[in-house]
This record gives sequence, C-alpha cells and structure tokens, in this order.
Amino acid sequence: MRTRGGEKAGRRSNPLAPITYLLRNAGKTIPLTGVIVLAVMLVAGIISMINSIPLSIRTIYSYSKEFTGVTPRGDATKTLPILEEIQAKSPYAIDRVIICRVTVTEIQSIVGKWPFYFIGMNDADTRYYLQRQRVTGIEGRLPRAGLPEAVISRPVAKNLNLKIGSEILGPTKEGGFSPNSVKVVGIAETDRWLMLSSIEYLREYHFPPIDLGMVSAKDPAEQPKLDQWADKHFKGRQAGILGYFQVEKDTNEMFATLYLILNVVIGTLVLVVTLMMSMLINIYQGQRLVEFGLLQAIGYTKKQILTRVLTETVLVVILGWVLGLFAAFGLLNLAKTVMMDPKSYALDVLDPVAYAYSIPMPLAILAVAAGTVWWRFRKFDPIGVVERRIV
Amino acid sequence: MSLLAARGARLRYVDHGKEHFAVDGVSLEVQPNEFLGILGPSGSGKSSLLYLLSGLKVPSSGQIEFDGRPLSQMDDTERSRLRLKEFGFVFQQPYLLGYLSALENVRIAEMDADNSAAAVALLNQLGLGEKLHRLPHELSGGERQRVCVARALMGNPKVIFADEPTASLDHRNGVAVVSLLNQLRGEGSLVMVTHDETMLAEADRVVRLVDGKVSD
Repeated sequence: MRTRGGEKAGRRSNPLAPITYLLRNAGKTIPLTGVIVLAVMLVAGIISMINSIPLSIRTIYSYSKEFTGVTPRGDATKTLPILEEIQAKSPYAIDRVIICRVTVTEIQSIVGKWPFYFIGMNDADTRYYLQRQRVTGIEGRLPRAGLPEAVISRPVAKNLNLKIGSEILGPTKEGGFSPNSVKVVGIAETDRWLMLSSIEYLREYHFPPIDLGMVSAKDPAEQPKLDQWADKHFKGRQAGILGYFQVEKDTNEMFATLYLILNVVIGTLVLVVTLMMSMLINIYQGQRLVEFGLLQAIGYTKKQILTRVLTETVLVVILGWVLGLFAAFGLLNLAKTVMMDPKSYALDVLDPVAYAYSIPMPLAILAVAAGTVWWRFRKFDPIGVVERRIV
Repeated sequence: MSLLAARGARLRYVDHGKEHFAVDGVSLEVQPNEFLGILGPSGSGKSSLLYLLSGLKVPSSGQIEFDGRPLSQMDDTERSRLRLKEFGFVFQQPYLLGYLSALENVRIAEMDADNSAAAVALLNQLGLGEKLHRLPHELSGGERQRVCVARALMGNPKVIFADEPTASLDHRNGVAVVSLLNQLRGEGSLVMVTHDETMLAEADRVVRLVDGKVSD
C-alpha cells in the first residue's frame, strides 16, 4: 500500500538499523571516520616510505643475486687460485667465472648518495653478464676495449639523469673520478642497476691494480647456496666473498634500530589516536543518553542497545580503515609517480607490512569503544533519563 | 482476574542516610480495558508507582503481577520484552529520536520492520498524516507528544502507562492528548499519573496517592 506520504508501507528499513544512525548523523560519523582514515593513511604511508629505503638497497644491489663476488683482500696473486678452488670444490655446478676490475662511484638514493660498483670486464663476459641480468635490449652499444666508455642500465640512467653521450665518470666528476671523461655509450633495458665498462680501461686507469672474480652457478636458483658455501668455505682465509645474502643481512642489521624506533612511534600514534577516538566516542554517546534511556524504557534490552552501538562502531572503524587503506594506496601511488619513479627509487605501493601495521589501530579503537560503551551501560538507569535527572 | 496488580508494593530509597518509602505498601488492581487515574501532588510517589507497575523498577518488598505472574519472577530481559510487547509508554517529556521522522519514531515501538502501515494509520488518526516524514524539531510540542502517543499505541499494548503526559503541554493540548489516548487505546488498559484532576475526567476510576500511600 501507499501511505499519504507517498512511500510504500512495509518492507522498509529498520529505523534502528546502525546504518540509519550513521547516515543521518553524518556530522558525527564523518569526523570519526576521518580520524581513522587519516591515521591509517599516515601509518601505512610512513611504513611504506621507510620500507622503501631497505627496499631500495635490495633493489639497487640486486645484481649481486646473479654472482658470487670474490676478492683476494688486497693480494692480487690470490684471485686466480681462489677462483680455481671454487671451481674445483664447489658442490654446485659453475656456469662461468668472470675476471673483472671494479671502481666505486655513487648513485642517488632517497636518503642521499650511496656507493655503487662500476665494473670492468671483457666483451664476451659483458654480454654474458647482461644476459644473466635479464637485459632485454640495448639502446646504443657496448663499451669498446680500453676506451672510456660505459653501458649502464635504465634505472641508473634515470637515477643519474644520464643519456647516451653523458659523462658518468670524469676528472671533475664528484664521487665518480676517472682520469678520462667516461661516456655512456649504451643503456641496457632491465630493472637491475648496472654500470659496466671494459676491464682494459679500468686496468689502465683505475686503482687498485687487483683483479676480482665473479662466479655464476649453472642453475640461478643455486646461486644463494653457492654464496653461502663460498662464504663458509673461505671463512678465516684471505678471500672475501660477496653475495646477495650479505646485502640482506647488512640491511636487516642496519634497519633493526630504525624499526624499533618506528614501532615506538607507531605505537604512540595508535595510543594517541585511540585516546582521541575514545574521547570523541564518549562525547557522542553522552549526547545519546536520552535515546538509550528511552529505548531501554520502552523495552529494548541493554544487550540490544549495546549490540546496536557496537555495530555502529564496527561499521565506522571498518569504513575508516578501508578508506584509509585506499587513501594510503592513492597517496603512495602519487609519491611513487611524482617523487620516486623519476629517480628509480624503489617504493612498494602494495607493501603488505605497511598495511598490516595499520591493523592494530582499528582494533584498539574498537576495544576502547566497546569498553566505553560497556562501562556506560553497566549501571545505566533509564528512569534517570525519563525523569530528566541525567539529561 | 485483574490484568495488573500491586500487592503491598514498597519502594525504598535512602536519602542522606535516612530511609524513605516513595511507594509505601500500595495495593491496587487494574482491570482489562480500564482507564485508571493515579492522582497525587508532586512527591507523592505516583511516578514511582507507575515505574513499579510497568516493571521499570523492582519493588523493595511486595509484588507486582501482570496476568497473574509476578514481575519479580522475570529477569531483566523478560521484563524488557514485556514492556516492548505488552506495554506502551508516554512520558512527561515528548522524547523522540531526533534523527528519525515522526513515522520512524512510532515504528521503533515494535522490532518488527514491517509495521509502517499500522504506524501510518495511527499517525493519521492522531492528525499527523501530513507530517509523517517530519523530524521532531519540525513538530510543535503538542505534535511531538501525539507522536509519543502513537508510539505508545503501536502493537495494541495491553497496558498503556502515561506519566504526566500533559506536563509539557498547555491545558487544551493536554486534554486533547489524554482524550486521544483514551479513544485510541482499543482493548488496552490505561494507567495515567497526573497531579491535575481535570485531566482524569474520562477515567473509569481514580486512585489518590499521598506520601506513597493510597488515600481513601
């Protein structure tokens, strides 16, 4: 049937449905949701940005996943014997051993300049190395033997704003000295960070006069095992083993304290936001005493009223949390596009750890809200309301 | 058999360490379809008696019975269910939920979500058919109290309790509200508390209360 008000009678929504209260009291719902959105966005954003630092380290030095680096710790005569020993004793099949020279230059990171290896090797090894580093194509060409030329990868080109013909090392280049102006002649298409030149050029112009080695396992999946075996095998001897596992280990150690501080900061933030929310919830509930008293007086049980209020809180918290996650995702995408991508800085906009960090806050708010409601209802007397003693 | 009965009901309270009785040994019966007026001056305990009869308060001693069953044998949930299903309430102040329309405020008297037609019919009978979707702040004091009357009448309760329902209204509106309550209560009984005898002109019976006791 149709009522005089023009609406269908029957099959209407329940006036006491939590969603009805939330929608019709937007002036209260929006601030509560907004606080949660901002807090979740802040937490997920901070964690993602902080996580981008170790992620950048792992990304920038991920080229080391493909090789076990070998140094003779200053004794140039030891390089070959060490490499021969690896070939002879490794329990894992070796695909290739590369002799190389290295000098150190710098790349830019979100927290300043970081050292980066400028590696020289012969043409055949360079081709093998690039293939191993998942290069899909090269703009330009490979460096020629003995000439001040370099091939770099796309992330390095973006990071240092280099093009074909740009100088990557030079006599006046801060952080990247070479007696000659070393020009970029090729840019390799890969997500790995690479700077390569000819071994002849580095032998001729760069210190120290020590060849290093790079050993690749036949099966790339066995490379980490080869790293670990070599590290254990040469422990205590005049041989340095460099592998990706050390990047992982050093990064974890380096950031352990930072994460401890971060946990305290996030914990404090959760506490502050939870206190703020509990105060807001308390104020809003205080303004609803007449409603609670009236409902109880006409026959609704405490449990029904409590369930309704808690459902409202759960809806607000879930809505705030979900919107907060979307807001964080949007903000991180913006930061990635505007700030990170142009310099090839790593940022995982879907970092699960960052989003997981946002979970305690809605849970804490929910717990405090439930506690507040329960406390208020513990000795609530509807007579006080209908007699206007407590309103 | 009476529908509702108080048997030696007392309600004790302590004020500054001294014991008082808001209701002191009251015995009375409410018959089905009866309009019982409870008259008394301010502080005579008439509201307290109403709270006892409606199960909103539990007597310190004595008994309240509904349909022959003592309310003291019911737990909180049962008493709440009784109030929602069998009783209707009109309080001194026209308490309405500010974010719900007149129609929705009436519908909350029943948990059944499919009760709009009955609520609309009641509001029409109470002259509020054009204001179904108005929010409480868009209604006058008299209109708000009529919405409360409609809420109390929802679901055809067996007993309607009215606690000074005319207190916030002028005399003309007050008389109109009581008259509407009386006309629309159907088979239900009406127990109304007031200090204004003129409001009980339509009552079947009037009980006078003085200092918590029924005065003959």
